[in-house]
Amino acid sequence: MSAMTLYVEKNSIIHHMDPLTKLMYVFVSIAATYIVPVHEFVFLTAAFSLLLIIIGKVFMKILPIIAISIILIISIIIVQGMFHPDNKTVLFSIGAITFYQEGLSYAVLLTVRVINMLSAFGVLILTTKPDELIERLIKKGMSPKIGYVFLSVLQIIPQIRATMGKIADAQRSRGMETEGSLIVRIRAFFPLIGPVVLNSLNDTRERAIALEMRGFNTKGKKTFLNESREYPYRKIIQFLLIAILMATIVWRVLL
Amino acid sequence: MNIIDVEGLKYKYPDTDKLALNDVSFKVEKGEFIGLIGRNTAGKSSLCFALSGLVPHFFKGAYGGKVLVDGMEIKQHEIGEIAAKVGLVFENPFSQMTGSKYSVYEEIAFGLENMGIERKEMIARIDESLELLAIKEMKDQNPFDLSGGQMQRVAIASVIAMRPDVLILDEPTSQLDPQGSAEVFRVVENLTKEGMTIIMAEHKMEKISQYADSVLLLDDGELIDYDTPENVFSRDDLINHGIAAPMVTSVAKAMGMKKSDTGKYPVTLSEISREMGDQR
Repeated sequence: MSAMTLYVEKNSIIHHMDPLTKLMYVFVSIAATYIVPVHEFVFLTAAFSLLLIIIGKVFMKILPIIAISIILIISIIIVQGMFHPDNKTVLFSIGAITFYQEGLSYAVLLTVRVINMLSAFGVLILTTKPDELIERLIKKGMSPKIGYVFLSVLQIIPQIRATMGKIADAQRSRGMETEGSLIVRIRAFFPLIGPVVLNSLNDTRERAIALEMRGFNTKGKKTFLNESREYPYRKIIQFLLIAILMATIVWRVLL
Repeated sequence: MNIIDVEGLKYKYPDTDKLALNDVSFKVEKGEFIGLIGRNTAGKSSLCFALSGLVPHFFKGAYGGKVLVDGMEIKQHEIGEIAAKVGLVFENPFSQMTGSKYSVYEEIAFGLENMGIERKEMIARIDESLELLAIKEMKDQNPFDLSGGQMQRVAIASVIAMRPDVLILDEPTSQLDPQGSAEVFRVVENLTKEGMTIIMAEHKMEKISQYADSVLLLDDGELIDYDTPENVFSRDDLINHGIAAPMVTSVAKAMGMKKSDTGKYPVTLSEISREMGDQR
């Protein structure tokens, strides 16, 4: 049973960074590309995010994620290229369709922002164990209940999916058709989803009891099995990130 | 000293008319193994919940009487505090895994983290439970990758690590295959040797007669009998309470073979073979 996580186990300097620093990087790099709408700067930020991905040895994992967003990117290019309100300079025409320079230039900006966003999140998600990230956040004061929800979802959804498979098999063995035309599939949906939902509700109740018995609701201070470890250059990097964010704001104001 | 003291316990689930537990009173001494028997719906689980504080704190409903565990009145304390004294393991091993931990080791740590146990102590306790439950070799595996029997042992280990005074097992093997059940009973046997107070609801009478110091028979929410296994299983009205005596006892009853010392029917194989030896 694999948990629903995109984390890739590798040994790189990015993997050893503090999850909170990475989380901060996500925010700063995304915010920066919006605060300073200068092509060169946005390109540089995206390139830097991709560089981090490459250092983190997860470049091949980010490619399919970027590929999925191609549809979004293409639609941005078409819409902005043809219809951006500032459109003046005709770049080229294909039959009746005309693309303008201003729109395309803006589309490129948006595209690079999207790629930066995906890469920045990729740095966080592909190189950070979810439990490490959540534990860091809980230690920083996030509610353990919210942390529990995030973590358990990753493991319990695959569990529910497995139950669903079992129920589908059981119903099929009793002669229910689950494959074929759309109508057949829709008809099969309710006898399948009913037991799954009831089953999950029952499991949830039992898990709530189990959590209670493990003292999850105890009010006292929690401790942690994993020691808070010292992350390399944590303070310097976090300081730099904040400085960069400030700098971009100043730049924007002066622009 | 009595570790558990139940006095006139009455309980009714919300939105029901019938008492799930009706005037139940009994005492348990430290280190005893109590077998809890009765047909389905007799109130075994409700009693387990009442001892662990889920009744009335989690299930609400109408509650009367007193339950004291190690001098602490269950009704006056929160489940978190009670959980440090009473550990509960129930049927379904899957739903007892928290789902927020990625290894058996961390899974066992969960309860200790909540209790605020120091890290050093935590590690010592986890290693001890791993050893006791014979699950050391799977400590780095994901709990959900284990078999039912292994998972149930992890569930017991997680509770044992919290060092409760009383361990309650509510039909711990009813959803397991024979091999898984055998694994669980083997560790239960270890725990009895450790001198832990254990209360186990179970349908496998052979296991009850083998481990229990006393048997508590419930029917329809009422306490019918609370006595040694041989006294309870020698009762003639057992079948009326939905209980079939252990195979050994049934055979002995059919043959009219009573123990020469107590005049009761034997309940374990070793007892019956001793009787046979005497007669030969």
